[in-house]
Amino acid sequence: MPPSDDSVTRVEERPDTPVRKRRLRSRRPAILLSLAAVIAVAVVAAVVLTGGDDDAAPVAKAAAGVPVAGGTLTYAVAGTQVSLDPAVAATAVTGLIDRNVFDSLVVQTDADSFGPWLAKEWKISGDGRTYTFTLREGVTFHDGTPLNAQAVKATLDHVVDPATKSAYAASLIAPYKSARAVSDLVVEITLSRPFTPFLQALSVPYLGIQSPAALAKPVADYKPVGTGPFSYVSWEKDKRVTLKGNPAYASPPGNATHAGAPRLEGLVFEFVSEDATRYGALTSGQVQAIAGVPPVNAEQLKKTPGFTLNARETPGLNYNLYLNQTRGPLRDVRVRRALSSAVNVGELIKNVYFGHYKAVRNPLSAITAAYDAAAEASLAGYDPAEAGRLLDEAGWKKGGPDGYRVKDGKALTLIWPFWAEGNKEQRDVLAEGIQAQAKLAGIKIDRPTVDTGAYVSDYLIGGGYDLIDVSFARPTPDVLRFAFASGNTYAKAGGNVALVDSPEIDRWVQEAAETADPATAVRDYASVQAKVLKEAYVLPLYTPVQLVGLSDKVRDVTFDAQTYPVFYGAWLGA
Amino acid sequence: MPPLARWLARRLTLTLFVLWGAATLAFAAMRLVPGDPARIIAGGVQANATPEVLEAIRTQYGLAEPVPVQYVIFLGRLVRADLGDSYQLGRAVSGVILEQLGATVALAAGAAVLGFTLALTLALLTAGRPRARALSRALEFCALSTPGFWIGILLLTAFSFRLHWFPVLGNDGVRALVLPWITLALSIAGVLAQVTREGLERALEQPFALTARSRGATENRIRLRHALRHAALPVLTLSGWALGELLAGVVVVETVFARQGLGQVIVSAVNGRDFPVVTGVVVLAALTFSLINTGLDLLYRAVDPRMRQVAL
Repeated sequence: MPPSDDSVTRVEERPDTPVRKRRLRSRRPAILLSLAAVIAVAVVAAVVLTGGDDDAAPVAKAAAGVPVAGGTLTYAVAGTQVSLDPAVAATAVTGLIDRNVFDSLVVQTDADSFGPWLAKEWKISGDGRTYTFTLREGVTFHDGTPLNAQAVKATLDHVVDPATKSAYAASLIAPYKSARAVSDLVVEITLSRPFTPFLQALSVPYLGIQSPAALAKPVADYKPVGTGPFSYVSWEKDKRVTLKGNPAYASPPGNATHAGAPRLEGLVFEFVSEDATRYGALTSGQVQAIAGVPPVNAEQLKKTPGFTLNARETPGLNYNLYLNQTRGPLRDVRVRRALSSAVNVGELIKNVYFGHYKAVRNPLSAITAAYDAAAEASLAGYDPAEAGRLLDEAGWKKGGPDGYRVKDGKALTLIWPFWAEGNKEQRDVLAEGIQAQAKLAGIKIDRPTVDTGAYVSDYLIGGGYDLIDVSFARPTPDVLRFAFASGNTYAKAGGNVALVDSPEIDRWVQEAAETADPATAVRDYASVQAKVLKEAYVLPLYTPVQLVGLSDKVRDVTFDAQTYPVFYGAWLGA
Repeated sequence: MPPLARWLARRLTLTLFVLWGAATLAFAAMRLVPGDPARIIAGGVQANATPEVLEAIRTQYGLAEPVPVQYVIFLGRLVRADLGDSYQLGRAVSGVILEQLGATVALAAGAAVLGFTLALTLALLTAGRPRARALSRALEFCALSTPGFWIGILLLTAFSFRLHWFPVLGNDGVRALVLPWITLALSIAGVLAQVTREGLERALEQPFALTARSRGATENRIRLRHALRHAALPVLTLSGWALGELLAGVVVVETVFARQGLGQVIVSAVNGRDFPVVTGVVVLAALTFSLINTGLDLLYRAVDPRMRQVAL
């Protein structure tokens, strides 16, 4: 064959080729067709088998039994983490894992009460600035270091050290000044100002007490070493964290259901970010529990024999829409209340979430201490006629293009950036509903899609927004200070995205955080809730719900005040 | 210097140039994206890092220096093959990459072998057979127009969640790799099969095929020994493309199948503005591309005698 006779020169001859080829073919196996058919049938059969084996493995519904020790529980969680140091990370999954490795000084037993844990008792000075903790005797860290006052001091100093680059923990104990070992087991902590949320802060895993010997090692060699019921074995990045039971465990919290060693031999956290994969891994028995059951599968899981759906409303701030009161049309309280009356929150939440999430009328979730149901009277609830009246009164007249209201030749336009990376729980769908209802009232809502960098620098810090949506779970009413005190803007590491600047609110949240009198605090927090709703700084939407899916083999998992699962008492049944 | 050595030396110089270009582009891109890197390194939107913490981050990573100064420092390190430490993990970048490299290579190499085998088999069996070809083409179009994400979910639902044949999680070695391999292989097999079949059909029309048949060669011999060699050239050319597809595909496959690997590393590094890790992975990808392309060019010469005569 001459080299020039290559494929390019032969292309033109193609039209007549099929005839020639058929005639010249040597053999003609019909295997292929049958093979393809077999594959197709296999795939269809596999998919049709839906649910078949779920019935095939009937598991007796958690018959009360005597706990048995042993076994490894695998818990699949969404998301991943970049650091295992609770003092550094802000990710929820780090708190969830570290909760099992670290004990805290105190345990939160209810919305606003605390019990002993590593500290068997504590005293608060009259001026509220000095906390003296007496530690339990005979507690040792997983590396053998004894728990003493020095360890508490080392942990807290590590958290507030700027070199630690704490993303969250340090902000919880902002008034921390110093710690001093009074004796081996007595530690005295001094604050720069009275701060009643201090005990709650000390109860979270991000402020778990760490072994000073482990903290002394270089950052690259960091390993979490605490006194908790499970000790750290390994972390395969983006894959799993493996823990093992601590047989010497002797420091359960005051509200624990049993004493002594944990029942599980091993505890494995698998990182499975894809919702469908995580859900399938649970129902096919590859893991025993999952976090973040997709709301669309929640109903199905409830009905599947052998599995339990555990739904828990989170305490703290609801998923709220905050109205930037420093910019454009929303400077006028009438426009803010008009937006609030234009949106039928109850109907939207019902339609988007099929009853799995509850519509709310208060920025604080109902299970948070100092939640005040009476404050809801101040909310501008759904009333389109009222919305129209308020807008007329504020000078925004009907008759603009596309039905939007205008004033001085400008349409009533609000900017609500859409940070796609942070989108979850179909919040984008809910936002579309809000947009549509605002449009009926003549308010235009723009949703530019932005990436993380722009979201932080141009919007959260730059202030180029009218609306921002966010939720924040933390079991203390002090979240109201985080969200509405004038000194807590995002740029100052706070959550005041409505940019509220009210001396009254500042005074209330300050007094509530400093007072030793619970009644005063409750009154102050109630005033804040009523005020922010009356001024329409915030439009409450729904209370986020933690949906945990459990196989019925898993027994006695309890949940702490932050809604994290607690595995200390957990065991695996037959 | 023999011609081949001269050619290799030139390719090596070009490779270095490509590495410099890729690293520079990575540097520029990571600086051009909006937002304060210190804030994102500190934990992103949810983080409540104080100004002191942000200042500490800027000082430690030299983010406060003017960009040209940062670039010079960056290049200086790169020349010394020092990729630096990850901002997020606090460990050496080379360590982070090496640790995850194995998982990704196992995934991509297996998928490449499977994809090429599947494509060649389909093409050899269906070239010039209109009915089989029509069926195969329909399957190939399905494979190449269905997102890998969706194929992965379907395979998982059928073979892991329902039939329990393959695990998603856990350390089951090869068994845990089967579904990811198939998912990733399908993303390249469709196109490769189409191209191979085109080449085969063209070769089968050539007079040499007729000559071979007249000498009594079986159909299999004609296809495997004669036509396939001619069809191999365009497939080799497409291998570069296939490598790109595989690299992009591992990101999706690793997410769907909850696997660890470089795909996950690069996603979290880009989101977390972890410059050293991003640079490390980009340089590694550029190096792999260059080496594979050089290897392919050598292969051309082996496959096609005409290429050996072309001036080096």
